Amino acid sequence: MKQFRTAYWGLLVAALVLVAMIAVARGAVPLSIAAVLDALRGRGDATAIAIVRDLRLPRVLLGALVGAGLGASGAALQGALRNALAEPYLLGVSGGAAVGAVIAFSIGVSTDAAITLASFAGGVGAVFVALAVSRAGGRTSRADLRTLLIAGVIVGAFANAAIMVALAGAQPNTVRGALWWMMGSAADATWRSVFWLFLSTLLVGGALVYWAREIDVLALGEDTAASLGVDAERAGKRAFILAALLAAATVSAAGLVGFVGLVVPHIARGFGIRAHRPLMLAAGLIGATLVVAADLAARTVAAPTELPLGAITALLGVPFFLVQLRRLS
Amino acid sequence: MFFGRVIVAVSLVAVGLLGCDKSSVPTRFLRDDFGDSVAIPRSAPSRIVSLNPATTEMLFTIGAGSRVIGRTKYDLYPDSARLVPELGDGLRPNVEAVLGARPDLVILYASQDNRPAARRFRAAGVNTLAIKNDHIADFRRTVSILGAILHDSARAQTVIDSVTRTLARVQNATRGSQRPRVFWHIWDAPLITVGSGSFMDELINIAGATNVYTDITGPSGPITLEDVARRDPDFILAGPVGDSTIRADPRWRIVRAARSGKVLVVDTLLVARPSVRLGEAAISLANQLHPGIIR
Repeated sequence: MKQFRTAYWGLLVAALVLVAMIAVARGAVPLSIAAVLDALRGRGDATAIAIVRDLRLPRVLLGALVGAGLGASGAALQGALRNALAEPYLLGVSGGAAVGAVIAFSIGVSTDAAITLASFAGGVGAVFVALAVSRAGGRTSRADLRTLLIAGVIVGAFANAAIMVALAGAQPNTVRGALWWMMGSAADATWRSVFWLFLSTLLVGGALVYWAREIDVLALGEDTAASLGVDAERAGKRAFILAALLAAATVSAAGLVGFVGLVVPHIARGFGIRAHRPLMLAAGLIGATLVVAADLAARTVAAPTELPLGAITALLGVPFFLVQLRRLS
Repeated sequence: MFFGRVIVAVSLVAVGLLGCDKSSVPTRFLRDDFGDSVAIPRSAPSRIVSLNPATTEMLFTIGAGSRVIGRTKYDLYPDSARLVPELGDGLRPNVEAVLGARPDLVILYASQDNRPAARRFRAAGVNTLAIKNDHIADFRRTVSILGAILHDSARAQTVIDSVTRTLARVQNATRGSQRPRVFWHIWDAPLITVGSGSFMDELINIAGATNVYTDITGPSGPITLEDVARRDPDFILAGPVGDSTIRADPRWRIVRAARSGKVLVVDTLLVARPSVRLGEAAISLANQLHPGIIR
């Protein structure tokens, strides 16, 4: 196993810090570097202070947390399921969360907290349904990790159908809200949403990192894991649920930000990292950098119109992924 | 006299004498459609961002056009409004771009998806007015609120009176005539029409006709072509694009009005906004439905 060189860590952290600084400095309103620095310290023009401290800063932090959560979640899933194409959204998390959000929109609920809770509940609910489906498909009553991905896809498809039925007769208001949510956006970031996502990323991400050794063993195969004294089903389920919770937390904070969970772990592995503890940490850093950069593009490329964040991450992520695929083959 | 007018206008929209400013002269407040309180500053706002085509039209008509410093990309009337910098969308607006224009008043449409933006404008200390403008009564209410905030209630009242008088004139002219049943084609895929919750339904009635879809209670709703055929309207109202779709698509032949060419092409920029041209819109509709009935 090739060791991850220390220099790379410095590089990854430096890249994130640099992109985050550019993202705070740039936006729809041109502000000089001096004005941004003053605003950060609470000096100078009140409008500039409001823009930098209440709009850009929480937005950049939220983007970073979303990217970190999705990257780490993807790295854990790809290891635990031994499938390089696994990603959090494939497990029904995104579909379930979207159903939760759409239900909230169509019954006229609009407070941030309610939509966050509804989508989180939907995402978690879908994951447990996927677990139940994979158990039903097995010969025994135990969940089959191999069928989990398929179960997730099926739950996701069902969720999509439910969303379409719910939106078919909805008022334009509801459709617009739901569509915007599904395209992913960090525009509604507040200090409160940053705090909650930070807390859940710390707890769930911390738990994943704590159990990273088990994922290493799982990645070797279930039989090997069993011979090494690890209960593969139990460990796999734990990794699965934690990764899904992490992804559901990001989705409830910023909607669907596609492709990050799939692409970022591959980029991290491109640095030669194999063990899952450093892999998840590196994927977290890279994911954070990618989403902050994508959000910067989303709000500046066509300003004052904003582009959907989820589309930008996919546009940036796919070329990375293709380069990675070529290198692997 | 001047104060009297302001107070009358303000009392129309439920008021409280809530706060005092430094010089202990009371600043009046009114409540907007999000239930938030909006200050009526002692001097009229001079940097207004209007994020709704209807309120932009109203501001220009009551003589406050020079105070408008930002608009959405859809605010194209009057022509002079096009000279005002465009700040993006009116629904889920770009908060940073709006704040960057340094407004002292932001006006936006009170739909649920605008709540976060309104909250942010307030948090940044900008006076914010969220107004739901769906009915003809809302038009009167909105103009009167704008008049109060701009300290020109007289001019606002003139605008309201002239539109109200024109609408009454059209209603009187069409009163005795036969009332055709009409279907208003808003959008083709999916097929959407006007419901009784819209000022467009009110316009149909004033212009001397009846909407076949009054059972849709919202401003609009999706329907099926078969159902349109079943309700068998006498006329179809449609914009230029809808009109060409109806002519080109053979499926529309199942609707008698489409088959017999009874499609009335309406000017969507004129009749689709609950604003200062409501009177003009009613006249044009009435003349299309009952040729020559009013001048």
